Amino acid sequence: MSRILVESPSYPYCPGCTHTTAAVAIARALEAAGTDPLDVVVVTDIGCCGIIDPLLACHTVHGLHGRAVALGMGIRLGIEDPRKRVVVIQGDGGATIGLQHLLEASRLNVDMTVIVLNNMVYGMTGGQASGLSAREVREMRGMGDGAVPPYDLCSLAHAAGAAYSARVLATGDLQARLSAALAVRGLSLVEAVGICHAYGIASREDLERLAAPETVLVRDREPYSMSRRELPSLLDGAIRPRPSPEWASLPGTRLGVVIAGSAGEGVQIAAELLASAGIAIGLRSTKKGEYPITVGKGFSTAEVILSSDRIEYSAIERPDVVIVTSKEGMDAARGMLGNAAALVLDDGLEVPGGFTGTCMSAPFRKAAGAKGAALCALAYWLAESGVMPLEALEEVAGPHRHAVELRRAIESSRTCAGNIL
Amino acid sequence: MAHPAAGGGDLVSADGSMLVIEALARAGADAFVGYPITPTNLIFSHANARFPLFRSSTDEISAAQTMSGLSAAGKLPVTGTSFPGFALMLETVNMAFMMELPMVIVLGQRMGPSTGSATTGAQGDLLLLRGAISGGYALPVLCPSNPEDCWTLAAEAAKVAVSLRTPVVLLTSKEMLMTRWTVDLSALPEVRRVEWPAYDGDGPYVPYRAGEGLVPPFLPTCDGSHRTRFNASTHDETGLIRKASPGAIANTERLWRKVRERAGEFAFLDLDARDGASTLIVSYGMTAGAARVAAARLGKAGRPTSLLVLKTLLPLPQEALDAISRYDRVVVAEENLTGLLREMLHGTVGREGVTGVNAIGRMVSPDDIIKEVRR
Ligand code: SF4
Ligand SMILES: [Mg+2]
Repeated sequence: MSRILVESPSYPYCPGCTHTTAAVAIARALEAAGTDPLDVVVVTDIGCCGIIDPLLACHTVHGLHGRAVALGMGIRLGIEDPRKRVVVIQGDGGATIGLQHLLEASRLNVDMTVIVLNNMVYGMTGGQASGLSAREVREMRGMGDGAVPPYDLCSLAHAAGAAYSARVLATGDLQARLSAALAVRGLSLVEAVGICHAYGIASREDLERLAAPETVLVRDREPYSMSRRELPSLLDGAIRPRPSPEWASLPGTRLGVVIAGSAGEGVQIAAELLASAGIAIGLRSTKKGEYPITVGKGFSTAEVILSSDRIEYSAIERPDVVIVTSKEGMDAARGMLGNAAALVLDDGLEVPGGFTGTCMSAPFRKAAGAKGAALCALAYWLAESGVMPLEALEEVAGPHRHAVELRRAIESSRTCAGNIL
Repeated sequence: MAHPAAGGGDLVSADGSMLVIEALARAGADAFVGYPITPTNLIFSHANARFPLFRSSTDEISAAQTMSGLSAAGKLPVTGTSFPGFALMLETVNMAFMMELPMVIVLGQRMGPSTGSATTGAQGDLLLLRGAISGGYALPVLCPSNPEDCWTLAAEAAKVAVSLRTPVVLLTSKEMLMTRWTVDLSALPEVRRVEWPAYDGDGPYVPYRAGEGLVPPFLPTCDGSHRTRFNASTHDETGLIRKASPGAIANTERLWRKVRERAGEFAFLDLDARDGASTLIVSYGMTAGAARVAAARLGKAGRPTSLLVLKTLLPLPQEALDAISRYDRVVVAEENLTGLLREMLHGTVGREGVTGVNAIGRMVSPDDIIKEVRR
């Protein structure tokens, strides 16, 4: 059997540090499980525990502080062969930086083994206490919050859904726990509480006295895998209005249309239909929308450009028409009225003071209801201005899942009696 | 059916996000991991409808890390985000740059600072990208100026990511990603699947030993024939931590050199140099549309004006720098207050004759640019 440890490893750790014990135990547990070095990747975090890579003859990935679990999860999801193993090693510092990653990997029950070498201090930066330090260690290291208990990593991972979570003393039966963890399909966590001679707990006695109790928590769950899907081209489902020569538009056309109303009242759909109908009559179009953070309340405005030429600039410089169907729409559109050529209003709204262009008003909300008002008003303006026959709009509404309602709103514009103000 | 006014073709009404995602998928990008954020909402939903592998992640740091893991395992991952999410990803982008992991980040710009205004477009992230990699190393950044570019540059982004083994940013904005454009599909070039130049030697495989082209041949982690090592800390060609040893410094310098020396492979721009023009308009991204209209109107009005649209922003193409230096008068148009491209070109000191057209909260208009050219 090939070895996981390199030939004559040179351990980088201080004398008495249980990271050395852990490195040997990890290698032995993998070897005992019959793992070929090319069938396992060890993903390491930052910290004393993370400088283990040169000791290992298997694949290694050395990432960032606190992120090894998320990185390992990506690797696990990307490796198609389920017999390959992913082992993550991090310290107590990395574990609290990336606690979310551990919870997520546990929730999904990603098939990998996470080993947290918890020596209750940050060994690399001078021995500050961590969120996994016992209260006494927090006091000893002068953190000033000795009354605050440490996280119970195993309970958290177990509660989130991990298949196996164990806490064990690094001076105790670590290799046996690691072997048990490696045998699990799903997320297995082994928290090995250990000694940092330089800054932390220095004796086996203190370790036994101060470490949280050893535990093994199991849960029988299927591991997560990202299923591979074969999906069709997005272009197959793109909106493809069929240009019809009978509706050919005039060359040199360039129209800017603003529709403003209330959220949930069909402003965006009306604008999308106009953009599609524009293509059906041989033009090019752009459509964009604006609405507040909540899509179901407040204003909703849309801008559509129709042009015989390619549209390079997608903002409307001077609107040919601003169509407003509600008070909220009026408030939102006020800034665009200044240089608009025409205004089309629901008859419940007042013509804004100072507006000098052509203004048409009709009872769109009454004729088509609140939900159909924007499309009704748009259809009304299209018919009045002769920009396009309503058949073009009806045609592009055809494939829509609300085609019946949309066509009814378009139809209702024919019976809308309007006034030129 | 051919239509006289439309000039025939296969016209669709499509948002820029759809073109980006479809082109990336055709180029061989096979995994999307992201946390939805405006204005890349459609990038997220289109990716879910298209990519073979898809994961909605708990946050942007997790997303970027999971992408890195997928990339190390031989996938080509993509994400979509905007400044708030990208800020969280920044350390991981450095990691992926250092590990030499291919990936594509679609960055949809929105108005800042901070959370700013999610649904208001902007071009405010260029200098962040310029300094994104600690040490000032160039992260390749491509920037579509119209819907057709969304298609071609997304495919190029995938190609650059793989051939240079690096994260690549596709810098877009709300306007490009969420506006529905009319696009003639029959005029879009075919997108070819990107080839992975995997290591096929007899070994020993030395993970970061670069051959010609300064890029080490790739093998996915857990390869069955050779041991691999990936490392985000300073390493030499073995992939092991070596601090400031000569080998490690040489490897780190190579990261800089590979992007600089191969920049010519992805130097995209449109240069329209007009006879008799004394002024050059320079623009990129969404503002390029206004710049094109402005240059055309100026030309029609008897004032021929040259136009440079940059599509590769990092590293800046040499051809662009040469063009800019040929004009006494240069007008740089971009949707931000402080002139990020202008500063990238000529520093805080600036250059005489180089002025900006800038706006926030609205698009720069053709008239804004014309006014500055005529000033
Ligand atoms: S500082 Fe502490 S954790 Fe680091 S090697 Fe020394 S004893 Fe081990
Ligand atoms: Mg520690």
